[in-house]
Amino acid sequence: MIVMPRFNFWTVIMILTWVMLFVLLFVPVGSVLVSSLYDQGGNFTLANYTKFLAESRFHQAFANTLVVGFGGLFGALLLGSIMAFCVSRFVIRGGKFVSLLAILALVSPPFIGAYSWIVLFGAGGVVRGFLRDLGISMPPIYGVGGILIVFSLKFYPYVYLMVSGALSNVNRSLEEAAEGLGLTPWQRTMRISFPMVFPALTAGGLLALIHAIADFGTPRLLGRGYNVLATEAFTLYAAEVGSNMSMATTISVVLIIVSMIFVLLQRYMSRRNVYHGNMINKPIRIQLKGWRNVLAHFAVYFIGLCGALPVIISVIYSFRKTSGPVFQDGFALQSYERILFGLGDVVRNSLSFSVAAVALIVVVGTVVGVLVARRTSLNTALLDGAFMVPYVMPGIVIGIAFIAAFNTGPIVLTGTAAIIILSIFIRRLPYTVRTTATSLRQLSPSMEEAAISLGYSPFQAFLRITVPLIMPGIIAGGMLSFVTAINELSSSLVLYVGSTMTMPVRIYLLILDGDFGVAAALSTILLLLSGSAVYIAFRFMGRNEQALL
Amino acid sequence: MSYLTVTNATKRFGPTFMALDGVSVSIERGEFFTLLGPSGCGKTTLLRAIAGFNDLTSGAIVLDGADLRTLPPHQRDIGMVFQDYAVFPHLSVFDNVGFGLKPRKVPAAELKIRVTEALDTVRLGAMAERLPAAMSGGQQQRIGLARAMVIKPRLLLMDEPLSNLDAKLRIELREEIRDIQKQVDIATIYVTHDQEEALAISDRICVMNAGKIEQVGTPQEIYGNPQTRFVAEFVGSINVFRPGSALDAMLAKLGHAPGGAATWTARPEHLALVEPDGQDSGAATLPGTVTKFTYLGREAHVQVDTPAGLLVVQIANPGMAATRHTGDAVAVVVPPSAPMAFGPDGARVKR
Amino acid sequence: MTKIALQALRKEYAGQLAISDLNLEIGDGEFFTLLGPSGCGKTTLLRMIAGFNSIEGGTISFDGEVINDRPASERNIGMVFQNYALFPQMTAAKNVGFGLQTRRIARSEAERRVEQALASVHMAHLHDRLPGQMSGGQQQRVALARALVIKPALLLMDEPLSNLDAKLRVEMRDTIRQAQRDAGITTVYVTHDQEEAMAVSDRIAVMNLGVVQQVGTPAEIYRRPANRFVAEFIGKTNLLECDLIRHEGKLRIELGKGQVIDVTDIVDASGSGRVQVSVRPEAVKAASTGLAAEVVDETFLGSHSQVRARLQTGDIVEFLEFSRRPALWTRGDTVFLDVDTDLLTFFDHASGVSIMRGDAV
Repeated sequence: MIVMPRFNFWTVIMILTWVMLFVLLFVPVGSVLVSSLYDQGGNFTLANYTKFLAESRFHQAFANTLVVGFGGLFGALLLGSIMAFCVSRFVIRGGKFVSLLAILALVSPPFIGAYSWIVLFGAGGVVRGFLRDLGISMPPIYGVGGILIVFSLKFYPYVYLMVSGALSNVNRSLEEAAEGLGLTPWQRTMRISFPMVFPALTAGGLLALIHAIADFGTPRLLGRGYNVLATEAFTLYAAEVGSNMSMATTISVVLIIVSMIFVLLQRYMSRRNVYHGNMINKPIRIQLKGWRNVLAHFAVYFIGLCGALPVIISVIYSFRKTSGPVFQDGFALQSYERILFGLGDVVRNSLSFSVAAVALIVVVGTVVGVLVARRTSLNTALLDGAFMVPYVMPGIVIGIAFIAAFNTGPIVLTGTAAIIILSIFIRRLPYTVRTTATSLRQLSPSMEEAAISLGYSPFQAFLRITVPLIMPGIIAGGMLSFVTAINELSSSLVLYVGSTMTMPVRIYLLILDGDFGVAAALSTILLLLSGSAVYIAFRFMGRNEQALL
Repeated sequence: MSYLTVTNATKRFGPTFMALDGVSVSIERGEFFTLLGPSGCGKTTLLRAIAGFNDLTSGAIVLDGADLRTLPPHQRDIGMVFQDYAVFPHLSVFDNVGFGLKPRKVPAAELKIRVTEALDTVRLGAMAERLPAAMSGGQQQRIGLARAMVIKPRLLLMDEPLSNLDAKLRIELREEIRDIQKQVDIATIYVTHDQEEALAISDRICVMNAGKIEQVGTPQEIYGNPQTRFVAEFVGSINVFRPGSALDAMLAKLGHAPGGAATWTARPEHLALVEPDGQDSGAATLPGTVTKFTYLGREAHVQVDTPAGLLVVQIANPGMAATRHTGDAVAVVVPPSAPMAFGPDGARVKR
Repeated sequence: MTKIALQALRKEYAGQLAISDLNLEIGDGEFFTLLGPSGCGKTTLLRMIAGFNSIEGGTISFDGEVINDRPASERNIGMVFQNYALFPQMTAAKNVGFGLQTRRIARSEAERRVEQALASVHMAHLHDRLPGQMSGGQQQRVALARALVIKPALLLMDEPLSNLDAKLRVEMRDTIRQAQRDAGITTVYVTHDQEEAMAVSDRIAVMNLGVVQQVGTPAEIYRRPANRFVAEFIGKTNLLECDLIRHEGKLRIELGKGQVIDVTDIVDASGSGRVQVSVRPEAVKAASTGLAAEVVDETFLGSHSQVRARLQTGDIVEFLEFSRRPALWTRGDTVFLDVDTDLLTFFDHASGVSIMRGDAV
């Protein structure tokens, strides 16, 4: 039990944290709710909800959301589990490279994935064209099928990273005990290994599901009329004529509720299945022989390469020669030149917003993390719970909520850089709070006590011993926040104005304009920045793919 | 023909490392057989080869006349108890113990009877419906034991089952394991690095070192008549006399041939302490001064600096008068039966 | 060089009394051990002395000066923890030198003292190692050096050996004892391992349920336990119930048909009546005559074996047999037992308190 300095430093922090949560979370969420419950005249009404329930357009969007959500979930579960099982249980040549492919898919800039698939399999797709020349015709990738393929390949890394971690942590003795008792390898896998990794499976699946529900770029580009709630909300908000804010907020409320339900459902399903083993026997990887070996390698590399394909495509296309938006034969740096001379401010915006947000996240997140870990009380437990909310809010909803809250009233932020920075800040803050609190709880308190017994004051002991120990984790966490921040699209799409445009927004607009060369080049730059951040993070905390989730 | 015979078992890891180097043992029906040795001596490798979790490079394992090496582990019908318990965390105590009966198609009614009986044997009858996660290490290991023996296996294997438990529980559970084993009468192979545990629990012990067998015998043979210096040092503790004129004089007095190339040793409890000028007929005495006195209640260890080296003397039941202080002058009594000699190759030299 | 006095000490946790009215005096340079089962309050007490736990009543004084309100960082203590608590980001030498930094010691002097401290625990050769690269035993040696190098007024050790394996424990307790003697620092040591306590301590306080049961040298505690709890907690013992019989002005007990043992050294007032007697396993020896008993089993343990035998009263006694015999006894064998009366302790049947008088022999 460390007695913290008594000058009420932590009480002040506690109050400030609640104020911050109030302004950045409760007010926006409240505004969304209020906006959905009042008409233009300021009268209370349930009309928006009745409309949502009555109009087939919204029914359809709701059903479509569930279809792409669960379709994406099952696709991700299938691909992710196959890959995780193969990589963690069999000897796979270049296993590290496969993990790298998964990371690549995870940090690839949004939208670019969908567009790359259009480039390959769209109406004028390269692969389709090639196949057509061979006499094989295939339908273009548009529609719900395309969305599901893209979601499966985009979100499988969540399942893969979670499950491979869990699989390599199943105590080998457990499986041997089952085998010694007479179970065949298949029975053993289903009855022992599967229940052990079930929590990881559902956690990875949940991440895939929530991201699939929140994603609106992919349905927008690939859907061709296949609308989901996220696209409906954005359309209603962004319509040039007849923007319908109260209907957009109504859909936002529905989205929040749906996400919330799934989070609670996942928690319920895995409530008693968290196992912490004392690891004496780590599982070993089996060297497969013959066709099984070929099959395992094929599965792993096929999934990995397909997942990373959009990134590969956009890197290649960024170097293609262009004439205006039209690609020519051969390679050139024209796309990069155009960024250098025309889009410097976009890159600058992205960098400065992200750095500002990350700086805020690191400082505030660390202080609040210490508060949550070291001052256990009802208050901190509530605080911990409140941080769940931004975790499940789709980006588009955060954007709409911030507009609803800060367009008028005491604080007006619309059109400023601050609103974008703060929206990123509040979304990513929970991760930093959690990771700081977790790493603090894992540190033995006797470490600080040792320093105190050697003559250091408690505050000095914290500063000299604990802070250096959690610092690498904090820096790594900051780097990973940077990856999320710089790739953030959906909330900024709602919040940006001309002068605060960021790279992902620009990419989105470029793709809508059909200027894929510059979009690819911007994506490549984004990828380079993300990759460097991931590299730095891994340098600080060791290679730990799970931290990316 | 013994019940289980292992012939010339060899296991090679990598090009040079021999985890097992031509090991042959045979175990009788109902026998409690222990593989004892330091970590890395090959004892666990041998046990896991018998269980089928890893195969031998060469050699034969024959159980009750049938070759075991051709069978996959789940068809060997062998019960195994693990160091880390390996209790299934998602199953209740009852389901854990009944787990191995399911693939054996035991009818539900009989399953219930057998599991209940097994749980009673390990004194966990009252906890059948609990989940094991919150249970103590000792209780989890009891589940592991019940689970392994309820299937009435042809062989019971135990891999350091007590080494994660605290001292008091270890002694309690080892007596329980021995009693249960005698009761169910299943041939058991037990792996441990704890020599006292091996002595207390086994019918026979096989001491292993560096992939080879040092000695096989009953606990009394292993302790009282070690065949190699390694066994003498690993099982119990020994004093090593410093070579020189004092040792030669001592050996002459005791009627042993002089030291030569051999190493002479003696167990602490075979030595005694007398006053500095004390004599003992037939025994040799070495004068010395006390350098350390450790009181342990039922015994005390006195370290004495003598012309034949630092010797530890164990005194049983030391009264207040037996207390010695650093610097006290004493004499160490060495009876004729105490010294044991080992040749340069480590083998026991007998005359 | 510090004398410690604890007076009327009290500790509460959330309204629950953990320690009440505890008094102890620890001498200058003494190796003093708090021994007891988990939850007996020994660690709580140690942490009160260290300053990590609050004090709800009474006083703690170092050399006569009450230090209740002095913060932990100013008590000048060296502390050794069960989990070593080495700073993982610092090398062995940096860990050891960490406490010297607040003490304004010249760099060269500090370096000399660090090397000396590492050498005293046989760790000089590993001074550039990080804790992650060291074994548990090595880490604890560095932790000991770190605590000793600041020349603390008081060395506190909280179960320092319980994370180490048996062989290492024996080795480390010698190191600890030697280093403490050489430095002459008053030491309070906490353990639940009675053998360890006896091996290292000058004096031991046996604790149970927040109360000190007995304070004494290892031999005093072993041979004259103050009550039943101490007798059972320290070493192994057989507790037998019997009647004290007054016979021709002398007291005796009967452990079987016509088999009597004369009893001396009992407080006179106890008269006759029901008592419990603690018989240490090594107080019983097989002999050619004596108490007849039937062997239940014998467990060979190397230097001796452990025998359980049933007396005619039906009681089972466990004893140690040190003789070398060709074969072990088996169930049903008859043995005759000789009992060393010096090692018997009598307890009042109701209170469990010792009714012995005079000093241990």
